[in-house]
Amino acid sequence: MQLFHDVANQIKCQPLIDWKALNRPVVGYTCSQVPAEIFHAAGILPIRMRGIETDGMDIGDAYYGPFICSFPKCLLQLVGKGAYKFIDGAVITPGCDAMRRLDECWRKAGEDYDGIIPGFFYYFDVPHKAEGHGMEWFVEEIEYLIAEIEDYFKVTITDENLRAAILEYNKGRRLLSEIESMRTSETPVVSGSDMFAATIAGTVMPRAQYNEELTQWMASLSQSPPMENVRKRIMLIGSITDDPDLIRLIETDTDAMVVAENLCFGVRSEGRPVDEDADPISALAEHYLGESTCPRMYGRYKQRLAVLKEKIEQSHVDGVIMQNIRFCDLHGAENALFEKDLEAEGIPCLRLEREYGPMIDKGRLKLRINAFLERLGRGRKYASSN
Amino acid sequence: MRAAIKEYNYDWLMGSTLSAAAKFPAGTAKEIAWAYRYIPYFKGIVKNFVDAGPPGIYFMDLLAGYYQNILDAHAQGKKIAATTFCSSPVIFYAMDIVPLTFEVLTAIGAMVWKRGMFDYMDYCCEVGMPETACSSQRGALGAYLADMGENIDIVLCDTPGVCDTNANAFVFAAEYLDKPFFQLNYPSTLGDSRSQAYHVKDFQAMIRFLEEQTGKKIDYDRLAENLKEVEAQDAITADLEDMLMMVPTPIPPIYTLMIYAGRFCFAGHPGYTRLLELLRDEAQKRMAAGVPALKAGAENLRVLMCYIDHYTVDINFYNYLEERGIANAGSILTRNFRDYNPYCQALEGSCYGVDLSSPEAMLDTVAQMNARLPMVRSIRGPYDQHGMWLDECLALARLYSVDCIIYNGTPGCRNTWGMVKPFARDIEKQGIPVHIMNDDAFDDRVESWEATRERLDEFFTVRGLL
Repeated sequence: MQLFHDVANQIKCQPLIDWKALNRPVVGYTCSQVPAEIFHAAGILPIRMRGIETDGMDIGDAYYGPFICSFPKCLLQLVGKGAYKFIDGAVITPGCDAMRRLDECWRKAGEDYDGIIPGFFYYFDVPHKAEGHGMEWFVEEIEYLIAEIEDYFKVTITDENLRAAILEYNKGRRLLSEIESMRTSETPVVSGSDMFAATIAGTVMPRAQYNEELTQWMASLSQSPPMENVRKRIMLIGSITDDPDLIRLIETDTDAMVVAENLCFGVRSEGRPVDEDADPISALAEHYLGESTCPRMYGRYKQRLAVLKEKIEQSHVDGVIMQNIRFCDLHGAENALFEKDLEAEGIPCLRLEREYGPMIDKGRLKLRINAFLERLGRGRKYASSN
Repeated sequence: MRAAIKEYNYDWLMGSTLSAAAKFPAGTAKEIAWAYRYIPYFKGIVKNFVDAGPPGIYFMDLLAGYYQNILDAHAQGKKIAATTFCSSPVIFYAMDIVPLTFEVLTAIGAMVWKRGMFDYMDYCCEVGMPETACSSQRGALGAYLADMGENIDIVLCDTPGVCDTNANAFVFAAEYLDKPFFQLNYPSTLGDSRSQAYHVKDFQAMIRFLEEQTGKKIDYDRLAENLKEVEAQDAITADLEDMLMMVPTPIPPIYTLMIYAGRFCFAGHPGYTRLLELLRDEAQKRMAAGVPALKAGAENLRVLMCYIDHYTVDINFYNYLEERGIANAGSILTRNFRDYNPYCQALEGSCYGVDLSSPEAMLDTVAQMNARLPMVRSIRGPYDQHGMWLDECLALARLYSVDCIIYNGTPGCRNTWGMVKPFARDIEKQGIPVHIMNDDAFDDRVESWEATRERLDEFFTVRGLL
């Protein structure tokens, strides 16, 4: 478990250092809709890019305008400072406007900061609709991406390689699902922050090593006693976060636990297996686009609400904390709709706006979270009485 | 929202205001002078359009008609579709659907009302939209969320060629009002066969959606009529574009607003053809008489607005250009990208043609037309990709001989704010000064017009332009 926390809290973590020591390539990507299996199939380590460890914003602010979410700015800041010089490639997607403009801002920063643009720099055009021609487009995008990887890295990605990669990734997904059920049970044995650190680590670590660590962790969890003092069961949703500290903020010095989440770096993306029997590219497309629950997939609000409700029911959630990074209107507006619909069904909700990065507004957030937890204490629905 | 505001049906209120304003010139000079005294906060805009002559007066009448169409829609058995300025109304008129374009309605309200659209914008936030959401939709949308306007039947928007905040506002409207929703989706490239084919398939899906919602099949004969009207409109617009290239130009700054606002509301509708004819005739008369377009007399400077104009109270921005003798070479909203326009020659793969030979050809025409609407066309992909924002602005800057380029938007323009700094730097490298305005085109509370004006003056002075 400690390894997961180490990986979650450092950009250049030990598994990455070990991988690079073998002179093996690493490609960074910026969105959960990029099929990591493709890189795995090519012997490349795919890592989800994170903005942690940012200690300034001079570079982020120099290229991005003022009304932009702090997550891509933190990424650009780290890129400009050379924190990602170890990657051999980068894949940018139009996850949202701010993220898609990382393409230009990164390239333009590269005119001012030497060596920050990796040799493989690719724009992966993910459509906003998954039906019909949207799915056809995405399948073609995956095929183009594969061709570009093969061409640049001088590798061959066969269907067999892809199937093997899907199996390897699915192994981790199934392990995560099992561990997730230990968290969502009425007597959880794993905390929200540990679970989140583990899912983040899965976006960075070599998959075989990750699966091995998960297997060991699951074995130890099966021997663990239930968590103590879990009276309020919380679900955390909203904008991108890759910081277990945000969950720790809810769980520390309170009788609350984050028993469920619907976050981009969380089990939302990692918990479901890819179809192992179908054509691998179609299966990846269906998984990464068809099953996406990101609000960038416009017109699917009701589907996302249904997912939330199901999870709330399964995890016996007492209250939902909805956060959005300032200027993240996709989550900001959707949180308002969720709040309206969930509160109407008697599920207490708290909406928070925050900045990405170091927990600079920790005090303010903590105050509001504690006030919300007090509210739950007055009329909680599911919490056990231990 | 204040109870007093909720007393009035928004569509009726705005339509009546514009309709009354359009009747002003029917009075004697004395009557008009007296009437102005009774509308101190609306006088500025009325006077501007009245002073613009027949096209200005007709423009107000045309917009009043736009609201009347919305008010009459349900009584006539028509559906109302909330939509965006990035979606051509041609198809709606061919299907007997009444378009209701949030951004245009917000701009009108922002210009007309003393308090702008603040109350309506804030109502959107009251019901949950982030304050960082784009003000262009938040204005008019507030009225419909507050149940103060006509009942919207369908919501249709564009993604992601336009910005997320735009699409997101329509998604919010659809969910909040529980209305059927359709998104036109755009890839990041334009002009290649793959994205062209995607546009057509997407457009066909939209037609199926609209047919399901209305219970009526598209009438291709009617679509053909509308597209013939578009042909006529494009031809007149090309004449106006030619005149805009002349130095000094006979086209006053406010004409560009009328050209694009008219297109967003009435493309394919005879009313818009009439507006364009009036604009062309007045400009030609001015040209023949040697009368300058700008009230200041001399044309001291030419600017290209690389994004949108500034719309808040009393159309201060257009007056400012007039006072300083600055010709407005238009904005991202002005151009229509019809194949014979000069700027299309400079931007290979950017244009569309009109083909009426078959239903498929017509649908392809409208799909390609839609794919070239503002934002959808030029900020869909990386700004420095072939034919995108940078190429377009540099081509237009050269063609219209502009002295500088000005960016203006809203804080909600996440898409452009994500790239405008490097974009401006790339333009400056070509020797063209760029000014980035930090106001909100629809909301004076973000930056007062006075402050905006000072910054514009500062830019023109420091860069030695005026």
